[in-house]
Formats: sequence, C-alpha cells, structure tokens
Amino acid sequence: MSDYQPVLLARLGKKSSCALETYVADGGYASWKKVLAGAKSGEWTPAKVTDLVKASGLRGRGGAGFPTGMKWTFVPPKEKRGDKPVYLLCNADESEPGTFKDRLLIETDPHQILEGMMLASFALEVKHAYVYIRGEMVHGAEILNAAVAEAYAAGLLGRDLLGSGVDLDVTIHRGAGAYICGEETALIESIEGKRGHPRIKPPFPAVSGAWNAPTVVNNVETLCCVKHILDRGPDWFKAIGRNDRNTGPKLYCVSGHVEKPGVYEAPMGILFKDLLAMCGGVKGGRKLKAVIPGGASAPMLTADEILEVPMDFDGVAAAKSMLGSAAVVVMDETTDMPKAVTNISKFFAHESCGQCTPCREGTPWLNKMLKRIVNGEGRQADVDLLLQVAGQMGNGMTICVFADAAIAPVLSAVPKFRAEFEAYVARSKKPGFDEPAPSDITPKVAERMAEGMHS
Amino acid sequence: MAKVTVDGRTVEVPDGSNALEACRAAGVDVPHFCYHPRLSVVGQCRMCMVEVEGMPKIQASCTVPIRDGMVIHASSEKALAARNATMEFLLINHPLDCPICDQAGECKLQDNAFAAGLPVSRTSEPRRQFPGYDRTDIGPHVVADMTRCIQCTRCIRFCQEIAGTGELTFIERGGHTIVWTHEGRALDNEWSACAADVCPVGALTVKEFRFRKRVWWLEKASSVCDGCDVGCNVSIEHRDRVVHRYLPRVNPEVNDFWICDYGRFRAEGLNGQDFLRPVLRGASGERETNWGEALDSVKGAVDAALAEAGEGSVLALGSARLSTEESWLLARLFGETLKGRAELTVDDGELRRIRNPKARGSFEGFLKGREAAPNSRGAEAAGLVRAGKDSALEKLLAGGPAPRVLYVADAAFTYRVKDPEYVAALRRAPVLVVHARTRNALTDVADVVLPVASLAGKEGTFVNVQGRVQRFDVAIVPPPVVRTDLEVLLHLGRRWGAFDTRWTARDIFERMRGSVDGYAGLEWDAESIVGAPPSVSPAAAYDSLLAEPLSLPELVLPAAPAGGGAK
Repeated sequence: MSDYQPVLLARLGKKSSCALETYVADGGYASWKKVLAGAKSGEWTPAKVTDLVKASGLRGRGGAGFPTGMKWTFVPPKEKRGDKPVYLLCNADESEPGTFKDRLLIETDPHQILEGMMLASFALEVKHAYVYIRGEMVHGAEILNAAVAEAYAAGLLGRDLLGSGVDLDVTIHRGAGAYICGEETALIESIEGKRGHPRIKPPFPAVSGAWNAPTVVNNVETLCCVKHILDRGPDWFKAIGRNDRNTGPKLYCVSGHVEKPGVYEAPMGILFKDLLAMCGGVKGGRKLKAVIPGGASAPMLTADEILEVPMDFDGVAAAKSMLGSAAVVVMDETTDMPKAVTNISKFFAHESCGQCTPCREGTPWLNKMLKRIVNGEGRQADVDLLLQVAGQMGNGMTICVFADAAIAPVLSAVPKFRAEFEAYVARSKKPGFDEPAPSDITPKVAERMAEGMHS
Repeated sequence: MAKVTVDGRTVEVPDGSNALEACRAAGVDVPHFCYHPRLSVVGQCRMCMVEVEGMPKIQASCTVPIRDGMVIHASSEKALAARNATMEFLLINHPLDCPICDQAGECKLQDNAFAAGLPVSRTSEPRRQFPGYDRTDIGPHVVADMTRCIQCTRCIRFCQEIAGTGELTFIERGGHTIVWTHEGRALDNEWSACAADVCPVGALTVKEFRFRKRVWWLEKASSVCDGCDVGCNVSIEHRDRVVHRYLPRVNPEVNDFWICDYGRFRAEGLNGQDFLRPVLRGASGERETNWGEALDSVKGAVDAALAEAGEGSVLALGSARLSTEESWLLARLFGETLKGRAELTVDDGELRRIRNPKARGSFEGFLKGREAAPNSRGAEAAGLVRAGKDSALEKLLAGGPAPRVLYVADAAFTYRVKDPEYVAALRRAPVLVVHARTRNALTDVADVVLPVASLAGKEGTFVNVQGRVQRFDVAIVPPPVVRTDLEVLLHLGRRWGAFDTRWTARDIFERMRGSVDGYAGLEWDAESIVGAPPSVSPAAAYDSLLAEPLSLPELVLPAAPAGGGAK
C-alpha cells in the first residue's frame, strides 16, 4: 500500500492549489482541451467519453455506488428528448455525518471538479451544469466561484469553447444546509426553488429531473474520477481497484477514535485493518468496539465483523452494511453505544423532511425513546419496541431512503449491543409502566386485524 | 384501458389511472389521506400501501401507474401490516380531542383508525404541541389547528392547483412540519372554505360551522345553490328545522368538488323567517291574518282591477330565484288566466365562478356565472318575460301608467329594493302584493305580504348557465303557517279555477315537459337532474365518483387574480 500514489489528492498541500495557473502547470485541463480540439472533427464524441467512463467501471461515490457510465446512458437520446436541455448537477451537498471528502476536494482543488464536470457535460451534451453546494460551505462556494470565474476568463467555459462549437456554463448554487437535499430528487426540487422534498420515482431524474428536463446528478468525487479516467485511460483506473466491480481511487473519511483522523486516499477495496493502520490505529491503543463504515446511515459493524472487510461497495455490502460515502466512524471500547445511537437518531429526527408519515413521526419517536432510555427512564419493553418501530419505517414505507438510513443504526446497534441497552433499562429510575409489553399486544392485533379487515 | 387484477378480481381501468384507483374500481377500498382525485399525487401519507407483483418493496398505491396485466395484492398481510404501521405513526402525536373536534364523525383519521389502526397505543411519549399554531384563524372562514394536522398537503395543493392562489405552505421540517399561510398572507380566496373540506382531519375547520352541531346529528338534503346561475350542487345540512351548513355535492359536470365561499355561506341566510303569517296592511294599520282572508283579498283586488280597467291592468313580477315550476304557475296565472303580464328582472351582480376545466361552457378552467340569481333561463322558458325596454315594469319605473295590481312573487327579486326611489315607484300601483320571507323596504309598504318558505323548504328545478336542469329537494319543513311559493300560487290560482291545489312540483314539472324549452323528455327522478346524493363527509365526497373516469386532463393554472376577487 505504501507505494500507492494519490490521484484525487495528488495536489493536496501544494502552494496555491486552487489557482488555475498551478492546476494547468500540473497538467490540468489537458483532457478538456484534448476533447474540445477533437470535438469538431468527430475524433471525440459524447459517446466516446461515456464509453471510457463505462469501461473504467467507475461507480458513484455519493453513497449508492451506482455505475456512473450506466447512469449517463439513461438520459434519453436527442431524438426522444426533443428540444429539452440536459442538466448536470454536481452534488456537493455533502451532509452525511462523518463525511468531509468533498469539502477537501472543493477547498483544495476546485479545478479538478470543474474539469470533471466539463467532461461529463460533454458526454451528456449539457449546456448548463450546476454545482449544488451545501449552504454551510461558504468558503468552498467562494473558492468554486473564483475557479469558475478563472475558467471563464481562460475560455474554458462559455460559448464556442476553443473554437469547438461546444457551449458550457457552470453555476454555483448554494443550498440552505438541509441533509435531505443531498438526495438527488430533493436536490432537484431545491435547485428549482422549492422545498427540498424527495420526489416520487418514476419518473427518474435521467428522464425528467430539474425543470422537467433530463438530469444527471453526480457526486463531487465521482466527477473528479471522470477527469482522471480521461487523463490516463480506463485500464489504468480499473487496475487500481480490488476487482472489476470496485475500481479506482477512493477517499475515506476516517473519524472517531483513531490516532490521526482525516481524509485518506487509498485504492478501492483496501482492507479495513490496513486503513486503520494508515490512521495510526485506535486512539490510545484501546480496543476497537464498532465501526460505522459509510456514514451515519450505514449499519454499524462490530470489530470482529469489520477487520478483514475490503472497504469497497461489494465488500462492505457482503458484511451487511454499506460503503455509502466512505465515512468511517471508528468507536473504541469506551463508547457508550446507546448514547451513540441516541446521538445519531437525534440527527435523523432533526433532518427528516416531513413528507412521509413513517419517517416524520417515526424518527422523533425513536429519538424520544432512546433519550428516555439513556436518561434512565426506560422500561423493559422499550428495547423491543425500538426494533419494532424501526422495523416498520423502512423498506418502501417512504418515498426516499432517508427512513432506511435513519433506522440502520438502531437496527444494527440494538441487536449487536443489546446488553448495553438492557443495562440502561435495568438501572432505570422509573421501572415498569403499567402497560402491556408490545410483544403481548402484537399477536392480538394480528388476530383482530385478521377478523376485522376481511369481514 | 388496461386489465388489472386486485385481490383476484380483474377489472378494466382507463390508461393513466393509478393502483389506488384500480383498487377502488375493483371494489377494494384502500384507506388513504393525501390522495384526492382532483389534486396532484404526492404519495406522502403512506396509508394506501399495497403489494404489487414484480415490485420487491411495498408501494403507496396512489403513486403506482397501472400497467396492463398488473397484479395488486391490496389485502395481503404485508399490506395490512404497512397500513397498520402508518396508522400508528399518525396517531402517536394526534391529540385525543375527538370529543371537542368538529371533524369527529366525518374524519378520515377516525375512519381509517377503525379500519387499519391498532386497538392500543404503544407510545408513552408526550404528544407534540404547536403553541401559537392551534385554534388560530388563518383566513376569514378557516380556523387552523396544527396539533391535529397529518401533513397530507391536500389544502396546500388545493390552494395551488384549484384556487390558483397558493396561500398555504409547509413551514419547518420533519416532526415540526406545519401547514400555514405564507408570511403576511391569509387564506382568503373565493373558495377558501374548500380547503377545510379537503382536510381529512380537524386541522382546518370552517369557522362558521365550528361548534354548531355534531355532524352525526345532521340530516342532509340535495339542493342547488341559488347564489348565481352556475348552480353548484349542494347538500343542505340541517337539524330541527335549522340549516347549519352547505356542503358541495360532487357534480363533475358543474361544480366538481367545490363551492365558492359566497354560495356556501348563503346557508346561514336560509334560517331567517320574519313573516310567519300573512299580513294585511290598510288604512287602519297592519294586521296578521289567515291565508283565506289574505288570498281572498288578493282575488278581490285583481277582480276589481279587471272589472274597472280591463285586460293588462295586473302585473306580476317574477324573480330568477323562483323555480321553473313556480315561474310557470306565475306565467300561467297572470299571463293567461288574468290576461295581465308576468315579467322578470334579473340582477347582474358580482359574478361567481367555480373551478372545472371539464364542464361544458367552462372558460380558462372555470365555469363562470353570468347572473346573480339561479334561474333566469328556467323562468324565461316557463313564460316570464324579461323586463326590457318596453316592459310594463320599465314603464312603471319611468313614471308611466301604473298597473292596478302589482303582484311581486319574491320581495327580494332585485337588490334595487333597497333603493327607496325604486320602492316608491313600485308602490305607485294601487294594490301591492308580495311574497316574502324576510323584511325589506318593499314588504314595509306592501298591502298584502304572503309568508313563504326559503329554498330549504321548497322543491323544484333550476336551469343553470349551461342550460342544465337541476332539481332541488325539500330540506326542512317551513314553520306551520308559512307556505311555499308554489302552494301560494296554486291556492291563489284555484280561486279562478286555474290550478288544482293537489299539484306538487313534480306534477307541474311533468306538465311543463310538453311546452317548456329544455324540459322535453326529462324525468323528475333522472340522475342528470338530481345529481349525486349528499356524501357522508366532505373529505370523502368523491366516494360517489367510482363510476367516473378517474384521470383528469392536466389543469392549466390561470394567473392568480389580483386581490382574489372574481373578474
């Protein structure tokens, strides 16, 4: 691993790394100029760029890990979409707790993102691309705006770029800091000026997204990868990963109880123990207890479950969690799991958009119950009730997957660390309500339902 | 058309329907809150969950466009458990104030809780409160109580998509989400109370009806609004001879699901009854009398006029608020039997409109009224002559020769009776007879006042702006001595041997069929005339629409009218 040369973070720490001058000096915009130069002659066509990205096996870095090239092919061809424009939205609304990779990219190497957007725009025949940047990242938005201005001044954005006949505008749009606006359809609603409410799918954004036009939403890191694929070719990109389905460089946001938290670049599929070693191991040499491998919405894994897991989409999925945004939250033996879960549930209760009943009502309910448990007011039935309530919120019960994210910490941590929750309840200051335990109710309910509903 | 199988039953539904509509077509009622056939689909309440073969996850049926051959399991264990879950989530924060909530009895939350809810609550957490957003006026007619809100956004969508004014919006997020007006605005549009109608719970209630009556005590009668010539179908909701409210009756051809506030709150006016007995006014002053003496005195005056001044000395003024049947009697009696004239005045007034892009005669998505009274078309078809340039009424008003007897069949026949000069002009007739329910300047000077019932006490038909004949029924029995216009005219006519007093509105309707334009071939009981029956609750009003085509053409929104007034 030590011989791995960073790709995405190659320019990290260089002087004036945000400036166009230094970016070009480091070989930046070569691919964009190459594509523009070959656009008129037909040497470079949108299909060719798309094919390169497809061949690279690049999967979306925002969380779901959907193959980027395939996502691009869902945009209807010109004959079908008619006069409608295609929009590219760069999702820089990085708000998954524990994730801070996009912010680093934005604040240290904005032109890398812009070049990725330019190439993706060429592939998708986009005339106007947007960066939807999280409201709190004011500094990042300023840097991006400066970079966009530089690119316009250098003739890399605008009309008839370098005589190629290609037009492209880029607009930096600041969000207002809602977590849900990182969900692609909520992001689209938000950029249209509406409340950030996820949309019902279908129609999918690739068919009808922003302003009812075909729209592709890609993560910052994904678009950076596009630039490098065009620079060095899909075979080079593929060679970096663990296998053909998990390719390329990956940024890992390691936080929590490690000696050196931060953003680490490693080949996709690095084993967790190696990643942990890169970060200097668990803080103070203590014992590892649990890890959230992909941001707050990923199920927690215990130390035993994660140590040998390759940190890529399929590897983490095989361990019954998800790589998500690769926000690795490390928790050592001193961590109080009920308090940690309560903290996460507070976040989700706060960020639920309020559209769907199960999520709007369920997330605060989980939070209230957990708060009660850690405050020493829990009762025996609460631990099961937590699981039951969480169990009826996800899996299609809501429009978007926010609820699935919100219940993941509960559904993973409560069974895995059940003793800790029960210990809290056992120490409860208010033991025993005069209420039947939920487990007593449920069969009766089922019985009554069976009678009542079908009569 | 597409074939869809729901719980083993295969039905054909129109293309573009969704799975919820397909279930309804198959006779499977899927409980729901946010779905409304005239509003966009948002799939937010997550109540209408069903299983669809080929889709791994459970689906909100309103968001699933149907495909030919789709198989839906609406009553599977998984679907019932999902609804059970949604119901539980909705109830954990809902206040337990059904005993003081006006929606109780017509509340979809109650209904669905019975259909799909848990018998006990598993929550012990404190319920959510919204201080400052409870029991608060958000407009002239609507009171909001956000503790009861289930965030289905029907009201928000109503204001955006039907009214086109968009006063309401979501404020805050997640469990704190409330529906409220935009900063500095009020829920004040022409149809604002419909926002409370579409509210499935007691979050929005109509101020005028709050705490008036528990809805399960209300009796309902089909009627037609007499506010203008759109002729919105209404249900008069009454109890113990008191009218408590109007609710719109669904009629996709006329008012669809809606009614304007002006029409809706005319219901209040139906309870006024100043005259309980006939009044005779003479040199010796004013006295109440019985019907026999009152009608005999009218007959005496008319006979004297005919004897002294001959034909044309009697003028009857009809009103566009009379039913076609009453107008027909008036025209027969005064125009033919008494050889006089029977004329009609119609007010233009402020024009009303109702959202219905589908209705015949709708324009810019609205069906617009042209006159401020419901039945000028029927009255004219029945033989009343619209008072124009050379009419007897215009001559009288211009100071020309006055008729010997002026018979006004509706003392409120025009807004101009508030004008003393107008009344003085009418009073130039030596004998002035009026039908009246409430006191006004004209009744104060009339020689004979005949007490008649309100719209709620009558039956008959109106012809609306589309030329559509619509029947209204008796809701309440008028006070003991008060009679309907129809009865008064029948008993008066009998004095000249003109009519049979046993005739009902239906008999007259059948007699008119041969001679009155637009009535040929109509049946008194035909659905086209009667419309839909009053529904159980305003939120569930569209349950009667099962047989209707379920998908609508896209609504094209007009620009919001400045100031919200009708133009």
